[in-house]
Amino acid sequence: MNAIINLLNLAWIQLIRHRVRSLLTIFGVASGMFLFTAVETLQRSLAKATEASAADTTLVVYRENRFCPSASRLPEHYADEIRRIKGVREVIPVQIVVNNCGASLDVITFRGVPDALLRKFAPEIEIIEGSEEDWQRRDDGALLGEVFAQRRGLKPGDRFDAAGVTITVSGILRSPFAQDNNVAYVKLPFLQQASRAGLGVVTQFNVRVNESKQLEPVASTIDELFRSGQEPTDTRPEKAFFAETASELVELIGFTRWLGVGAVFAVGGLVANALLLVVRGRVKENAVLRTLGFPGRAIGLLVLSEGGMLGLAGGMVGVGLAAWFLRWQSFTMGNEGQTLAIQPDATVVAVGVLAALLLGVFASLWPAIQAMTQPIVQNLRS
Amino acid sequence: MNAPMIQCRGISKSYHKGATVVNPLEALDLDVAKGEFLALMGPSGSGKTTLLNLLSGIDSPTSGSLIIAGTEISKLSRRDLTKWRANHVGYIFQLYHLVPILTAFENVELPLLLSSMSKKERHSRVETALSLVGLADRMHHTPAELSGGQEQRVAIARAVVADPPLLVADEPTGDLDRESATRILDLIRQLARDHGKTIVMVTHDAKAAAAADRILHLEKGQLLLNP
Repeated sequence: MNAIINLLNLAWIQLIRHRVRSLLTIFGVASGMFLFTAVETLQRSLAKATEASAADTTLVVYRENRFCPSASRLPEHYADEIRRIKGVREVIPVQIVVNNCGASLDVITFRGVPDALLRKFAPEIEIIEGSEEDWQRRDDGALLGEVFAQRRGLKPGDRFDAAGVTITVSGILRSPFAQDNNVAYVKLPFLQQASRAGLGVVTQFNVRVNESKQLEPVASTIDELFRSGQEPTDTRPEKAFFAETASELVELIGFTRWLGVGAVFAVGGLVANALLLVVRGRVKENAVLRTLGFPGRAIGLLVLSEGGMLGLAGGMVGVGLAAWFLRWQSFTMGNEGQTLAIQPDATVVAVGVLAALLLGVFASLWPAIQAMTQPIVQNLRS
Repeated sequence: MNAPMIQCRGISKSYHKGATVVNPLEALDLDVAKGEFLALMGPSGSGKTTLLNLLSGIDSPTSGSLIIAGTEISKLSRRDLTKWRANHVGYIFQLYHLVPILTAFENVELPLLLSSMSKKERHSRVETALSLVGLADRMHHTPAELSGGQEQRVAIARAVVADPPLLVADEPTGDLDRESATRILDLIRQLARDHGKTIVMVTHDAKAAAAADRILHLEKGQLLLNP
């Protein structure tokens, strides 16, 4: 154990005293890991938004064959009929207005919900500035997600105009769900009028069922109920609805996986190249260490440690910068009225740093094998 | 009578160089007593360095028996030979071969890094070794900040820090001016005389060889009886 610690210390000394070489390699690794983290964050944000879990109990009722919120116009009275279906716990009519229905990085989304049902629709929200009472009092009051407010520099009392809707900020909210932090909640009648959808018309219904296993039967019952109605419906679990409605987004993000793979290969190649050069430059030094009684595996461990340390340092810098940048920028991708908040989490950071460490070690394997198998006598003469 | 420190019996070394087989050493017999300072002389290609490499355990003989401090090292596995080398031999190179980014202290500490010694004991040993070679005041200097003679003294401290019974030196004064060379030779002689080290030194320099207890001449891989 003592010997391993001493070898790690020696590897560390080699890195810090070859400062320029180490910094350049760390910079390269950091660049690759920045890209990797950005891609992983996209992938994970999408996975969270689309992968169903046993805890899911929400259905979304949308107009059949429609995607953009402006095209989905459902009669609000459908809510009463849905509420009567067995297994349904809550039905919330929602009006959604977006400034851009195509794929975009800067989407403004208004969610109109009945004021009495806000806490049922989003029970987890916390008002961090302003007040919910002000929202209840004002017709044009809006509760803004904190990221939404931060990106546009809005605070309680300000007025804001987008997508033809003018609101007054009543409060700023915070939610554990990143998507909620990027929207503005307004009262349903206000949004129906402001968006010219008209009273009694909503974009969708959010239906809560008692248990996850009731999602499918309740969805089928709802669609069956309105099959021959004035506006036929298409009902799906919330996450499946997101995956299907934002399919362009899903495809786009799916493609970025290859960028992540490319970044991993670039980092691996960079570390391997740096370590190969190190080993070649240290042919005589390694032969001297072998003469002093260092076994080949100790020389190999030195090289692997240097690779691992370079990977770890580059990973920490790249992943840390990416996580900070993504949090600071609070990007939101929108498509067909669905928004995806791109927020890194602890898992992405841990995976990124661990991946960089393993890449560093893995990329040093070949240089390490070369270093530990070099013949002593010939290398002393070289 | 005490067994010799080094006992070579019929050791030969051959290797392939392209299509031809080179025999730098042929059936060589040699005994070196414990605490003896032996100088090996001979023209280039006579097999001096090859013999030194065999004695230090960084190379193995093709045939013959090589017993050092009671261990038949020609029969040791590569792994055991490495371990043996760490405990029994100190190597002094002509060009010092210090690690340039490490300080004198760190260079001397290298042979102890894989031992089970505590940090305190290791540091004490390094300080003693550096004091022995007269460089206690230069221990935090890098090789670039030392003169050639000082670098060689650091290399000698590195060779003795693990307290090996055998020291091998490959032209240790070959790259030094006369004054530095004299100091190095005094130091090597002191290691044999005062510390009981067995020393085998290869040199081209007759003045350097004169510092040894015994001088042997090698030519074409064999010892000359009457040079």
